[in-house]
Amino acid sequence: MKCLLCAVLLVPALTSATVAADLDKVVSRGELVWAADQEGGGPHVFPDPADPRQLTGFEVDLAALVAEELGVKARFQQGQWDRLPLLLGGTADCVINGIELTPDRQRDYHCSRPYFAYSLQLLARRDGPIDTLAKLASPGPGGRWRVGVLTGSAAESVMRSRTDLEIDVIGYDGTIDSLEQVSTGVLDAAVMDDCIFTFYADRFRRLRTVERPFEGGFYTILTARDTPQLSAAIDAAIGRLIADGRLKALYDHWDLAGRQQMLLLRDAAEIPVARRKSLGELCRDTLPLLLKAAGMTILLSCLAFPLAVGIGLAVAVGRMHGPAWLRPLLTGYVEVLRGTPLMLQLYAIFFLLPKIGLALPALVAAIVGLALNYSAYESEIYRAGLKAVPPGQFEASLALGLSKWQALRHVLVPQAVRIVMPPVTSDFIALFKDTSVCSAITIVELTKRYSVLALSTGRIVELAIVTALLYLCMSWPLALLSRWFERRLERPAGGSMAEG
Amino acid sequence: MITVSSLTKSRAHVRVLEEVSLAGAEGTVTALVGPSGSGKSTLLRCLNGLETFDAGSITVAGHRLEPGPHSPGLLERLRRDVGMVFQQFNLFAHLSAVDNVALAPRVVLGMSVDESRVRGLDLLDRVGLRSFANARPATLSGGQQQRVAIARALAMRPRVMLFDEPTSALDPAMTAEVMDVIVELAQAGQTMVVVTHDHGFARRAATRVVELEAGRIARQGAAADVL
Repeated sequence: MKCLLCAVLLVPALTSATVAADLDKVVSRGELVWAADQEGGGPHVFPDPADPRQLTGFEVDLAALVAEELGVKARFQQGQWDRLPLLLGGTADCVINGIELTPDRQRDYHCSRPYFAYSLQLLARRDGPIDTLAKLASPGPGGRWRVGVLTGSAAESVMRSRTDLEIDVIGYDGTIDSLEQVSTGVLDAAVMDDCIFTFYADRFRRLRTVERPFEGGFYTILTARDTPQLSAAIDAAIGRLIADGRLKALYDHWDLAGRQQMLLLRDAAEIPVARRKSLGELCRDTLPLLLKAAGMTILLSCLAFPLAVGIGLAVAVGRMHGPAWLRPLLTGYVEVLRGTPLMLQLYAIFFLLPKIGLALPALVAAIVGLALNYSAYESEIYRAGLKAVPPGQFEASLALGLSKWQALRHVLVPQAVRIVMPPVTSDFIALFKDTSVCSAITIVELTKRYSVLALSTGRIVELAIVTALLYLCMSWPLALLSRWFERRLERPAGGSMAEG
Repeated sequence: MITVSSLTKSRAHVRVLEEVSLAGAEGTVTALVGPSGSGKSTLLRCLNGLETFDAGSITVAGHRLEPGPHSPGLLERLRRDVGMVFQQFNLFAHLSAVDNVALAPRVVLGMSVDESRVRGLDLLDRVGLRSFANARPATLSGGQQQRVAIARALAMRPRVMLFDEPTSALDPAMTAEVMDVIVELAQAGQTMVVVTHDHGFARRAATRVVELEAGRIARQGAAADVL
């Protein structure tokens, strides 16, 4: 009883203590952990070209200044840009990485006072047809214009809201990916924060700015809603950095027009806070998008897997029965595809092939990438299956006058297929889940759609449940289907020429 | 129909066959007997090119085999004329009995599905298994499986049938049912070479008996003389 009383009395005390201690925790740790994505690139945060182990960028300097104001050191935490806010509360104290101040973010996090003003810049090829923003209002020679943006950025939401333009907006995980793709002709144009292109302009000499920057906003430092002291301390720190000219000096050092930045920050208007959607509104707004993304997941799996099985079987047969010169080549094929990550392969197909003039649409690149990667695994499974067929079956076929290929086609492969059904089925389910890797090459499938929606609505848990249910609704019938197929293959042929 | 002259074969520096010569006329049954490891199965497998040899020559059903690797085309032509039945049956596990029999006529001879099926059913009838046409091999007894295997080999209408210890994996009752089928075939004038341990069968059906010992022919002649 006494203990219970103690506990009841202690709980509120503890809770208020943790709330009050959020800044103390940072101070006593002696480190402000700030999250950013170094893949996002310059001028924000990027590996120092002189020493790639070191990070540099104007936000690296800013983080150091803010930490100094708090009396601590800054420690960098790497994260994927569009998911940086998820690191708050556990892994990181704050996010400093070109996070635009938006009504949605005001609702879900604590947003510091603005520290940088950006504008959006339209970019296109010098020799291309796009020379004004207005050009995008009517379709181009190839139909709708393809415009690349950074996933989750203001550029993405602004361009998606422009229903007056004839454009397909394609989201990339890295800022300069879209510049590469415009360069190689996969995209018609890209939209991004002006400071990014200013920074990379020399590397992309084939690209030009189209008109002046057309819309803008401010960067903010994100902190979790339950760390009010830390948030207030960061706000105060930014205030002091502006007041005593250190921020201006920092921007001048990075060639970011310090005086103009100070004027824009001085006159920054208040940004409204978005309203939290009701569950009904949430379903109405997100379910159609999630269902469409689930359709993409199904499409990718159902097109890639049969291809993977076909190629895998051919490779297995080639390795076991093909001409001697072919066998080491096929072994190399299997080892290379099995020994390198799927992500890297997709990247090579999507970003590197266009450089040698072979630009594949993202969907084709995704299907080809998945099929090739999985064909390596399938071929090993089929090789095991073919080896498991008793050698007498092959001899009996040959003794009947069948050629080697006829024996493979009518006797060995049909039996191997039956033997390998269970591992092939489980590979299909693995591929089904691996489709989410394709988000790296702009494919919006279910996992990607979930992460975008969860961050824009702030309903991370509710949407996670819906997404998990959608996955289950898809994989369950899949499992039933393959079990049915397995049973069908095991059943006696019933006198029909079933394998013919 | 079958001529083997001076056949010699080594495996890992061990002589498996040495200077083996024999002849089998059309319509005769040659029984190959001898202790285990005497080379009789190897000799049989050389006859349809499942094994190569080092010296000598073989002529079977008009096809001539030379020492060393054989060309795939020659082997395919030869095997259309030379059927084989294995000790372990080797029925195609994924096909029903009738499909086992009908496969080669359909795939090798290009018969239609219906045509090859009719041939399959006729042959199953001949070995007494028409009612098991739709059964999978795994559901058949050993004796039944071997009879299906004989029907399967007969489906190509071979001029020569090779049997590699066809009853060694069977119990006595099943041995009898398979032997009856083979004896019937012999009586119908099928040219055959049979590797066997069963001297009773050799006496009953063989025109000639060839006894091998350590890769050489120890004795050959009429069954009554050799055994």
